[in-house]
Amino acid sequence: MGLPLLAVEDLHASLADGREILRGINLRVHEGEVHAIMGPNGSGKSTLAAVLAGREGYRVEAGRVFYRGRDLLSMAPEERAAEGLFLAFQYPVEIPGVNNMVFLRAALNAQRRRHGESEIDAGEFLRAVKKKLALLDMDEALLHRALNAGFSGGEKKRNEILQMAILEPRLAVLDEVDSGLDIDALKAVAKGVESLRAPDRAIVLITHYERLLEQLAPDHVHVLNAGRIVESGGRELAAELERHGYAFLGEGT
Amino acid sequence: MTLPLDSRETVRFLAEEGYKYGFVTEIEAESAPPGLGEETVRFISGKKGEPSWLLEWRLSALAAWRQMTPPNWAKLRLAPIDYQAISYYSAPKQKTAPQSLDEVDPELLRTYEKLGIPLKEREVLAGVAVDAVFDSVSVATTFKEELAKLGIIFCSIGEAVREHPDLVRRYLGSVVPQGDNFFAALNSAVFSDGTFAYIPPGVRCPLELSTYFRINAAKTGQFERTLIVADKGAAVSYLEGCTAPQRDENQLHAAVVELVAEEDAAIKYSTVQNWYPGDAEGKGGIYNFVTKRGHCRGARSKISWTQVETGSAITWKYPSCILEGDRSIGEFYSVAITNNCQQADTGTKMIHIGKETRSTILAKGISAGRGQNTYRGLVRVLPRAEGARNHTRCDSLLIGDRCGAHTVPYIETRNPSARVEHEATTGKISEDQLFYCRQRGLGEEDALSLIVNGFCKEVLKELPMEFAVEAQKLLAVSLEGSVG
Amino acid sequence: MSGRAAGRVSALAAKPEVQPYLDAFVLPEGEPFWLWREREESLARFAEEGFPSRKNESWRSIDLEPLAKNPLFPLAEAPQALAAAGAFQGALLARLEEARVEKKGLLFVLRDGRFDPALSSQGELPEGVRLGSISAAARSETLLRPRLKAPSGPFAALNAAFFRDGFFLEIAPGTILDQPIEIVHLVAAAASLSLHTRSLVLLGEESRATLCESFIGEGRYWRNDRVDIALAPSAELSRFLILEEGENAIHFDETEAVLGEAARFSSCAILLRGRTLRQETNVISEGRGARSVLNAAALLSGRQEANIVSAVEHHAAEGETRELVKIAASGRAHGAFQGRITVHPGAQKVDAHQLSQNLLLSPRAAVDAKPELEIFADDVKCSHGAAVGDLDEAQIFYCRSRGLPQREARGLLIEAFLRDVLAEATTPLARHLSSRLSRRLATLEEEP
Repeated sequence: MGLPLLAVEDLHASLADGREILRGINLRVHEGEVHAIMGPNGSGKSTLAAVLAGREGYRVEAGRVFYRGRDLLSMAPEERAAEGLFLAFQYPVEIPGVNNMVFLRAALNAQRRRHGESEIDAGEFLRAVKKKLALLDMDEALLHRALNAGFSGGEKKRNEILQMAILEPRLAVLDEVDSGLDIDALKAVAKGVESLRAPDRAIVLITHYERLLEQLAPDHVHVLNAGRIVESGGRELAAELERHGYAFLGEGT
Repeated sequence: MTLPLDSRETVRFLAEEGYKYGFVTEIEAESAPPGLGEETVRFISGKKGEPSWLLEWRLSALAAWRQMTPPNWAKLRLAPIDYQAISYYSAPKQKTAPQSLDEVDPELLRTYEKLGIPLKEREVLAGVAVDAVFDSVSVATTFKEELAKLGIIFCSIGEAVREHPDLVRRYLGSVVPQGDNFFAALNSAVFSDGTFAYIPPGVRCPLELSTYFRINAAKTGQFERTLIVADKGAAVSYLEGCTAPQRDENQLHAAVVELVAEEDAAIKYSTVQNWYPGDAEGKGGIYNFVTKRGHCRGARSKISWTQVETGSAITWKYPSCILEGDRSIGEFYSVAITNNCQQADTGTKMIHIGKETRSTILAKGISAGRGQNTYRGLVRVLPRAEGARNHTRCDSLLIGDRCGAHTVPYIETRNPSARVEHEATTGKISEDQLFYCRQRGLGEEDALSLIVNGFCKEVLKELPMEFAVEAQKLLAVSLEGSVG
Repeated sequence: MSGRAAGRVSALAAKPEVQPYLDAFVLPEGEPFWLWREREESLARFAEEGFPSRKNESWRSIDLEPLAKNPLFPLAEAPQALAAAGAFQGALLARLEEARVEKKGLLFVLRDGRFDPALSSQGELPEGVRLGSISAAARSETLLRPRLKAPSGPFAALNAAFFRDGFFLEIAPGTILDQPIEIVHLVAAAASLSLHTRSLVLLGEESRATLCESFIGEGRYWRNDRVDIALAPSAELSRFLILEEGENAIHFDETEAVLGEAARFSSCAILLRGRTLRQETNVISEGRGARSVLNAAALLSGRQEANIVSAVEHHAAEGETRELVKIAASGRAHGAFQGRITVHPGAQKVDAHQLSQNLLLSPRAAVDAKPELEIFADDVKCSHGAAVGDLDEAQIFYCRSRGLPQREARGLLIEAFLRDVLAEATTPLARHLSSRLSRRLATLEEEP
């Protein structure tokens, strides 16, 4: 196997108030793989996603993260995005006054500019978006509303996947993209994610339910507890967690 | 929310009786002749046997006052006050200072009994220490010895000048300087008594400290001065109540309250102000011009003001917090009622100086009759106040179409990391709510006081228990005659 | 020299900042006697009041000291025709083009405070519309006399004493005008000066019009304008103001709108360029059910100071007011909003709301807000809100995580914040105002 797309080595991170959340994470993700990271509330799943995307308010105490061979932690959030790292937010931010479509186009063009590509023309962009909308079973009206403002939980999550579909990342980290969704929305989101599986793209799913994994069939499943990956395995690990819960984790830590 | 049964009875009782605290105590008093000049100040200072530094301090205040003009920015209408027609000193005549309550004039003790303020220690509700100020002087302080065991000083300010001159000298005027404003300067020149409290480091005062102010004599002003210091890590809750007899002429009350909270200290200051409001036609009543300010000097200190303002013909007061210590907290909770011809211009100032300072303002104004009620508040965030937060909410309720409700916030922000939010609403009392209550059998006035109490609930719950009950009753009484 | 000096007023002992203006005062030739009287009365009022002091709350946040020290005088003579040859004038003409909403619309240009027919394009005025110079109208029509009375306030009085021209717009009852009328206030004079433009807008019953006023110029000057608006019952006026004055210019403008029954007045001011800007709108809601929408936005940087002032007086029942004011201040700029809504006795069922939202974008910027409600009637629904803060960190991070650079993310959010005030604009206008806003934002981004 070649160089991993993402290599997390002994990552320690804490909150501004000094509380240590990640206590030595090791993770390797190769192109084409789908990883699932599971674990109880407070185990550090969302912190890991936030640190990977470069959110402020976290301090990396030790460890390194390589992404496509570069030191990820030294990059600005928009640089990481331009390099193909995409985070689907657990709570997508509402931005009243900013049109959803205008935003999406601005984001795409910002990334294209960084790669020395020309800006996308409005007609071409609209056609691309419409195609993806159909795929995600999304209402076109959402495009013309303010970004996430007043969207339902399901609409917000679909909008995240729509952004992912347009921005075509190399590594997508989906933070609880399945939480708060009814079964139809879950299916639509899963279908959207599934369609984005590609040999040159890796996906990291963060979740604490198995139901999304049933649809997406990850190659690797990791269990995160108290800031460490305490178990790694194949799909069967997820099924086991579903049956026994996280209670047994207490023993090992 | 339920209204205690007895408050409904109070409404009925007062409907016959009017202002319940309007009686006059027949007691021999010693007063200064009307007028204000250097000799008045020397007279007061001499009466109290003050040290020369304090006399000088008063005289410099007088000099400052003479250069000043009364403030005119408040939304208040009043005839000019003749400061030379007021007597600046009145004291119940007594040969020597009372050593114990047994030596206090029984007529005075009866006055406080009528007011419902028990001064006899055996009758005092457990948990409240009282200092009673009658006209210009403190007549009795209860529970002093118990407090002294903890190192807490609680006495009249006159006594504090004699017994603890260093403390008084260090803190007096440190929060409200002599020349701060017209009324504070006046007070600094002529203050005759008031309360002093000092809570030593680390001590949480086990009793509610309380002062009861009473104006009795005619043509007299009352100018008390209160100074409360909570040293490092100390905590205290202080209550203040006020009444005055029913008189046809206006009387002036110009008090100054200074609070100092050192590191990690907390002061909670509660007021139920029920000075005589004047009659239904606007004749008589107290002019209440008060300067109250707290200084959160140390890190993580906290000062909380709660006020229920139901009395006075005119109220002009802005209990404020200077939030200097990092992460210090200021709070202001207020209910102000104006009925008949009462006018109130009241609010607060929150000055954010230290980092991560926080303030909360919650003001409820109720206007009825021809009453005019103004909320005026300043929130200022200075450049150093990184991460400061303020939230302000003001609600006004109008009862009848001849009254007024005004909201004047001033917001001044100099730090981008600060967040300041203000919201305010004004509306009439809900016909639907009134009807609903009446349909369920409540009388019109009961329904009204029920709704008003609900409107004020968030503020009233900040009051200590004993005061909350009294405040609820007062709200009902103050609104009497405003419906139907 | 045109006109004659007014002896009566200049004899008064005046405050130091007033005297230069008394000395400079002349009555324009050829005006009717009543107008001379109004001018002299106004001058006397100005002399008596002087500049507003810092104690005057409505002028508290503006520094008038530089203006008091260095008086700026109006042009005594009508300016020469604008020579297109000079680079300075050429640049201005380009800006005049930029200020157009629609290339073919009605355009009325006031250059250095006077109507410039050469730059204007009025073509065939639609039926029921009258648009022209106020100075010309006042000379021929005594009917304007009650409309041009000496107003209160020192600067309004100064304006009334010194105004040389302005626009006069009159819309006949029942006339509906879809296309906006564009007014451009252009300062092209090379020398420092003051301008005191006075304008009048009268809308007849059930008429409707849209007015778009742009203020452009270069150099140091003091604009001190006054506009009086009267809306007859059921008339509707939408007015847009775009302030893009010279970098060192002082701009004060004051509007008073009187609303008849069921009239609707909407005003939207965008404050972008100019050293010191003060925009004041006063609405007198006289008729039952009159509605007003007062929106304003300011985008400030450097050492700009801007003051948005408003007062709405509800004298009649069932009135409605919606006010939204947004200030974004960066650099060392200082923005302030003061708005008052008064509901007078008997004005029942008034529904009024004020919202002041402010962004502080740099550690040395400052914002003050004073929304004020003054209510003397009980059956009302009035509320206000104010908020000050920086851009939301979570929103910035969200944008950056999608690849937008920090600056672009901030720009996007600032623009979204300010654009709310354009809700009342029709499509071409909204597009025009938005593009002016974006342009200003781009210059802001370039600043250190």
